[in-house]
Amino acid sequence: MSELRSDSRPDSVLEDPGALAVSTMYAQSYMTAAVAAGSTAPEEELNSLIDDVLAKFPEFRDLLMSDLIGRDQKLVILDRVITPQCSEFFANFLRVLIRHGRISLLPMIRSVLVKLQEQAAGKQRIRVRSARPLSGSARAKIVDHLKSTFGFEPILQETVDASLLGGVVLQVGDTVYDSSLRSRLKQLKGRLVEKAFNEIQSGRDRFSHPEGD
Amino acid sequence: MKFKADEIASVIQKEIEDFRGQIQTAEVGRVIEVGDGIARCTGLSNVMSGEMLEFPGGIRGFAFNLEENSVGVVILGDYLKIAEGDEVRSTGKLLSVPVGEALLGRMVDPLGNPLDGKGPVLTSETRPVEWLAAGVAERQPVKEPLQTGIKAIDAMTPVGRGQRELIIGDRKTGKTAIAIDTILNQKDTGVICVYVACGQRASSIAGVMEVLRANGALDYTIVVAATSSDPAPMQYIGPYAGAAMAEYFMYKGKHTLIVYDDLSKQAVAYRQLSLLMRRPPGREAFPGDVFYCHSRLLERAVKLNKELGGGSMTALPIIETLEGEVSAYIPTNVISITDGQIYLEPDLFWKGIRPAINVGVSVSRVGGNAQTKAMKKIAGSLRLDLAAFRELEAFAQLGTELDKDTQAQLDRGYRMVELLKQRQFGPLHVADQVVAIYAGTKGYFDKVPVAKVAETEAQLHEFIRTEHADMRDKLVKEAALTDEIEGMLKKALEAFVARLSAKA
Repeated sequence: MSELRSDSRPDSVLEDPGALAVSTMYAQSYMTAAVAAGSTAPEEELNSLIDDVLAKFPEFRDLLMSDLIGRDQKLVILDRVITPQCSEFFANFLRVLIRHGRISLLPMIRSVLVKLQEQAAGKQRIRVRSARPLSGSARAKIVDHLKSTFGFEPILQETVDASLLGGVVLQVGDTVYDSSLRSRLKQLKGRLVEKAFNEIQSGRDRFSHPEGD
Repeated sequence: MKFKADEIASVIQKEIEDFRGQIQTAEVGRVIEVGDGIARCTGLSNVMSGEMLEFPGGIRGFAFNLEENSVGVVILGDYLKIAEGDEVRSTGKLLSVPVGEALLGRMVDPLGNPLDGKGPVLTSETRPVEWLAAGVAERQPVKEPLQTGIKAIDAMTPVGRGQRELIIGDRKTGKTAIAIDTILNQKDTGVICVYVACGQRASSIAGVMEVLRANGALDYTIVVAATSSDPAPMQYIGPYAGAAMAEYFMYKGKHTLIVYDDLSKQAVAYRQLSLLMRRPPGREAFPGDVFYCHSRLLERAVKLNKELGGGSMTALPIIETLEGEVSAYIPTNVISITDGQIYLEPDLFWKGIRPAINVGVSVSRVGGNAQTKAMKKIAGSLRLDLAAFRELEAFAQLGTELDKDTQAQLDRGYRMVELLKQRQFGPLHVADQVVAIYAGTKGYFDKVPVAKVAETEAQLHEFIRTEHADMRDKLVKEAALTDEIEGMLKKALEAFVARLSAKA
């Protein structure tokens, strides 16, 4: 449900990691089952359901995801409304979700599925933060460098953060490569303070008696 | 002298010119929930248990729980400034504190930040807070004495260097006083002291600081303070941080003394952390590993072997009991970990027997080997004599008529109890202790009225110091009661008794 209501949700608020783990499991199974069932584009039906049906009929979405409606009733509604229009394979997938009480994870399953498909195609999303919008040549340079270093096709997700002052910050998975001007200045400050420590001490000693107080 | 602005500017300019910034690589995660001093984060897939993490604004924390989908982080600082969605960076380092000579005379928090307003702690050395205790081969048996300066302890429950001696008792029975007296007595002995205040009132810590300062003990003492208003994580790591500071000196071959005041409050702080982290509660709602929490801390008190410099760390953990209940969870745990305990009783305290040590229950399992020969000789039977006296005393209270011998034994006992009393902040040198106890056990105080024993003892010390300094010096030097010294001591005591009766 989280993604459908993303308008009221700030970016900083994260997905529940438990739900994410469950969604990943369903997305993986869906992909594997789709291959076995001979479906070539399993995401097509899923996207269409979310974008064309659930987004356009919010009452229907709430009905499907509400805890007030029993699973059996939901199955009946599903069979009447959706099953006649979709493949048997996709209908089965929805039935499993309803029976397990996981239908509310549908949007999250979609986003995980997209990522899994990208990974399967040798692509990975990289978050790029820079002080100013990247120029075309800079972007190409970053993409080339990432490709040669990591060996995958990067998909850049760019954000502009003026507080970085300059340089870029790349995030690959959980690892951040920070070469922004802000962090370099911070490093420089730390080094100057460290060097100045002894100077401060000797400066202080000048004002005290050499024999001690 | 005037500062030369140009010179400073050129130094800074050179620094900037030479500066080559490196790309910083760090593992990151995001905060999913925060509160009560802990945070749960996602990401951080390669973080280590106990690794130091950094929140925005430089607030530090360490990884406490590594779960399937998230990492539980203990926040060391103001958790109210951390919000959901904030980035957390790993540092690749274990939680460390600054150590070194610069800390002597300072009061710091468990992260080594100064609390005494005397400016920054100027040291470049750090040490991990958690450190594996020295192994079996790296140790040697406890054999050197650590003089507490308290007659009752040095005579009957002696503490050796590298020993762990528990001080246990109800509130307001003088536990901290014993520890502070012991620190004061380390003056001019080269022993470095660390006083860890954990969950104490800020006013009592200020009081301790004042006593240490007034008695000139701050020069060799570090105070690590986590007051009861500090968050639980600070109270939890306080003792470990203090141990790390003491270890620095120990591995340099010095002798150290560390006081944990008190471990029951640390256990409570640890219980809070564990429950917030949803670790399952056990007995008294403490987590299952609260024993390990204390055992790994107290194992760090050792006497190192010669190859490692022969340094030592003596630990005096303090435990507060409720209504004398020593069979509660934490007291039994710590009693079983330590090498003996000094048991303080409120009844004795209110009777005026201070330090209020219950001689029967207090023991020292290894300190006997460390006692000086002189003390061992005279104190050997003291504990049994006192026990016999207590039995007789109970009997005498029934009002039965007593024979002469029993009455004499009782009288001697009353005087010995009086003699073992000692005022606070008045540690005695071991030689003076030997003289006083010798005089008591050999009956030189028998003619002194019970109420005047303390006064007479003070006169005796004065007399010995001024008129028999040669004997005292010999006793200090040899630390044994040889026949020669004993002869001199007997003569001195006879002269003293003669003078007393002449006065009366």
